[in-house]
Formats: sequence, C-alpha cells, structure tokens
Amino acid sequence: MSRREGSLEDPQADSTISLLPHLEAKIRQTHSLARLLTKYAEQLFQEYVQHQGDPFGLPGFSPPRLPVAGLSAPAPGHAGLPAPERLRLDAAALIALPPLLEVVRRHQAELNPRAPRLLRRLEDAARQARALGAAVEAVLAALGTETRGPRPEPAAAAAAAAAAAATGAGVFPAKVLGLRVCGLYREWVSRTEGDLGQLVPSGPA
Amino acid sequence: MPAGRPGPAAQSARRPPPLLPLLLLCVLGAPRAGSGAHTAVISPQDPTLLIGSSLQATCSVHGDPSGATAEGLYWTLNGRRLAPELSRVLNASTLALALANLNGSRQQSGDNLVCHARDGSILAGSCLYVGLPPEKPFNISCWSKNMKDLTCRWTPGAHGETFLHTNYSLKYKLRWYGQDNTCEEYHTVGPHSCHIPKDLALFTPYEIWVEATNRLGSARSDVLTLDILDVVTTDPPPDVHVSRVGGLEDQLSVRWVSPPALKDFLFQAKYQIRYRVEDSVDWKVVDDVSNQTSCRLAGLKPGTVYFVQVRCNPFGIYGSKKAGIWSEWSHPTAASTPRSERPGPGGGACEPRGGEPSSGPVRRELKQFLGWLKKHAYCSNLSFRLYDQWRAWMQKSHKTRNQHRTRGSCPRADGARREVLPDKL
Repeated sequence: MSRREGSLEDPQADSTISLLPHLEAKIRQTHSLARLLTKYAEQLFQEYVQHQGDPFGLPGFSPPRLPVAGLSAPAPGHAGLPAPERLRLDAAALIALPPLLEVVRRHQAELNPRAPRLLRRLEDAARQARALGAAVEAVLAALGTETRGPRPEPAAAAAAAAAAAATGAGVFPAKVLGLRVCGLYREWVSRTEGDLGQLVPSGPA
Repeated sequence: MPAGRPGPAAQSARRPPPLLPLLLLCVLGAPRAGSGAHTAVISPQDPTLLIGSSLQATCSVHGDPSGATAEGLYWTLNGRRLAPELSRVLNASTLALALANLNGSRQQSGDNLVCHARDGSILAGSCLYVGLPPEKPFNISCWSKNMKDLTCRWTPGAHGETFLHTNYSLKYKLRWYGQDNTCEEYHTVGPHSCHIPKDLALFTPYEIWVEATNRLGSARSDVLTLDILDVVTTDPPPDVHVSRVGGLEDQLSVRWVSPPALKDFLFQAKYQIRYRVEDSVDWKVVDDVSNQTSCRLAGLKPGTVYFVQVRCNPFGIYGSKKAGIWSEWSHPTAASTPRSERPGPGGGACEPRGGEPSSGPVRRELKQFLGWLKKHAYCSNLSFRLYDQWRAWMQKSHKTRNQHRTRGSCPRADGARREVLPDKL
C-alpha cells in the first residue's frame, strides 16, 4: 500500500479518498469499538458517582477540574486539528489512562470493597482503554501515519505514581481524583468515537 | 507549586520529559502559587467517630493572603448545607464547625464534609466515618464436602450493621498443635462464609473462629471445635430413576446410586426421598430410607406425573458418631403413574364409598379383592360393608386357618346368588 493511498493529509478530502477495503473494515471495527466503550464509560462514570455518596451524584456538583499529571481533557481546538493529529492525541490519551484507572481501582477497593461491579468496571476500563488505544494506533499505521515517538508508558506510570502519592493526602481528594479520571476516560473515548466516525466511509459496511 | 503539566494536546515529538515535572499534581488542599486561587485544608482529615459522638472541625484557607477570608465560607455534609449556627469564624482564615450526636455514615466510603467558598466552589473536603465497633460474630457452622474441604458460615454480631466497612476473617488451627491459619476464599455461600479448599487433617479436631475488625475496633467469636469427619456431606445421589411398577396405578419405583465420591465409605448412609405432584409445590418426604438404593412409593394418584428427588446423609463415616449433614437434593426426575382401569363391560363401578379416604393400603387390598371377584363372581352394587366382611374373614383365616363364611353376596350375571369364598391368597 502506498503512503498516498489511505492518507488523510487533507481532512477536507477525507470523504473522497478511496480506502482499501481492509482499511475501511479496520476503521469501521475500531469505530464500533469506540462506540461501545463510550457507552461503558458512561456506565462506569455513573456507577462511580453513585458509590462516592452525595454531593458527587447531585446536579451542579462541580469540583475543580484540576489537571491530572500526564493527561488532560481534549483541548477546545481538538476538533479543528487534522485527522491524523486528532487520532494521535486520542491514542496517546487512551494509552495514558490505564495506570490512572488502576490507581482509582485500588483506592476504591479500600473505600468501597463491597462494590464488586464498580471494581470490575474499573478493571475492564483499563483493559478497554488499552485495547482501543492500540486499535487507533493500528489505524494510524494502516493509514501510513506514524504515531508520535515512543509510547509514553514511563510517563503514564509516573503520573499514576504521583496520583497515588498525592491522594494519600485524604479520602476526599482520592474520590475527586477518581471522578476526574473516570470523566477523562469518558471524554477521550467519546472523542475517539467522533474522530473515527469522520473517517468511516458513508454507505453500508 | 507550578501549574499542572498540560496533557497530550500540547505534547510534541521530543524526548520524554524528565520525571520531576511529572510529580506536579494539583489536588485539593495543595495551594497553587501564582494563580491567585484559594484552597483550604480541613482538620481533622478523615476522622473515625462513634455514633452519637461530636465533631469539631476547621477549614483553613490558604492562598493570596489579601483575598483569603473565612467570611462567606460554609459547610456541606453529604451535599446538604449545614446550618450557619453550627459554624463560627475562628480567625480571618479559619471557619470552625461543631456537630453533635452524629448518625452512622450514609455510605461506606465515608460521609463527605466539604468546605465551600462564598461562590459555592469547593475548597476542601474530608470524609467522616461514623459507626460502631463490631460485635462478636456467632453461630458458626461448617461442613466438609467428601472430606476434601471445609466451608464455614457465620452470623455477624449486631446483625452486621456497624455503618463502617467491617472485615471478617475466618481463622482455624489444629486443636493441640499447629499455627493459626486464615481462610482466604470468602463469600462462597453467602456474604459471611469462607471456603478452605485443601490440606485438612482427619481424625483430629480443629478450632475455628471468626475475627471481625473495623476502624473502631475488633471482636472475636467463640471457638468452634470440630472433627472434619463429623461434618461430612456429599453430592446428591446420581442416576435417580423413577419407573412404574408394572400396572400398579398407585406406585412408582425409585432407584439411585450411592454418591460416587464416598461410595466406598457409605456403610451406614441414610437417604431421603421427596416427591410431589407436577402442579403442586407441596413435597411429601419419605424419611429414613436407610442404606438402600431403591424405594417404592405407594398410595399415589393414578395417571399423575410426579417429580422425585433423593438426598444422602453420609453419617457414621469412618466411625463418626455425629448425625452427618444431608446433601443437596438430586435433580428432579419425573414419571407418571398408570391411569385407572375403566369398568368392565356390563359391570357396575367398583369404587370406594364416597367420602372414604383412598389410603394406599386400603386401595391395594380393594384392588386385590375386586380382582378376585371378577374371577369368581359378577358383582354390582358392592359396598364397603361387604369389603370389610371380606377383610375380617381374611384376618381370621390367616390366624386360625378356619374358613369363615361372609354374609354378603354378589349376584351372578344369571341372577343366582352364591356365597363368596375367597381363594387362598
């Protein structure tokens, strides 16, 4: 496959590029996965909120959206970026999430030991984020687009360690961190679904 | 502390950033210099308290000194704003709170006590754990499946409601030697249970107890002493077959096999059978089938589907004197009794008197009686009186071997009457 085929340098011309069938199938498949995980991420968020107690579930509850080291929410200008750049950011965020979700799971195992479904959802989310991130990277590779340098795993692990240490400051900050991480997971999976949806050729699969 | 490091949106293809900046993490309670924002610290952080006790807490604001003030701060507990009279300003940057007679925590992750700025933004939070220490667990019961493992169940003290997460730990040791061991597989048969899968000794007693622990203390159950052989149960009997007994319309034959895991040891096993009509929920139990592997159910309704189950009690295994523990019931097996025979041509119905209970033995004898009559006489309009006379004759005949003549009569088809003398049965 030439680099030109399947290239997405011109986002405006995305819909007019003829993609190889297997690439199209890969994009559809990854988009379907992202759509499914968006639903799961919402369920995780709701379940998490429920187990922290009020005010976490109340309308208008708005703790400070403090940045989590190594991961932030999609930038306001994300949608305006070229498709490859958007997908690179999606993949990087998805790969950064699993260690953070694991930290949250460990906190919740102490705070809510009798919430097996929440703990299972957190464990599944880490696995699913990793899988979706790898799938997006595979799409980028199939498009002939390089992913951005080496995987930021050491950075992500350090961020997770920092998060774990910082939340030793108290239970409430740990609950807020978990809320933030679950929120970021939901945002990035949804963002990935949207970005892949723009690549999916119109018409039946 | 510098602002938090931006995420992937701002990263570029460079060498991985050094580790130290990654430790920049802003959480509630950690002031951010240079931002002008205020944060605060609640004291105490995450206290544990008895139900009914009081709490004195403070919220101390950090940040730009010119802007930090305790005026306008307020508290919420689990999302509900606390009455202003519970708070008081201690100094320019500290708001105090006094809560009395605390209720048990609403959730196990802790009640959320939050300090808010005037505009409602969250400055700091602390989680309260209000509850009771655990009471002594009790009612420990244990059983061993085929002498290979041990499962125990218990009841938490005070019905388990401590409002705090309480950890239960099942401990066990050999009575006269050995170290304490801790069971590791919990919740196998309910929330307060544990399973020990292996490495259990026979012919020597174990001591078993449960320890309950939470943030406010611990409690220990009484010690249960048992020998594994005294609490053995087994699998339900396999291969349960239910079949008709020839044409007998009120009987079914039940056969089964000894549970294979213990079949070489079940010298004194007991079995129990239960059965019910297909559309009924009421089981009838046949008790103490002793050490047989078959049984005949009698007194059943003709033309009826019955569900049958069998279970086993391996008592007396290896000489144990204890009662043993019943297995689960086998899977239901169904069979139907034959339908009632229709009356013969030209004959009256030979039915029990209205209102007579159709007990099994009576019906069996009546069937035999009717069978005999069909061979030797043509009878109509029979009554139980005649039947009772026959029975009485049968009993005397068995005792004395003398023939007693009945006083009833069955008219023959030709109108002649004759006395009815039963055959020797």
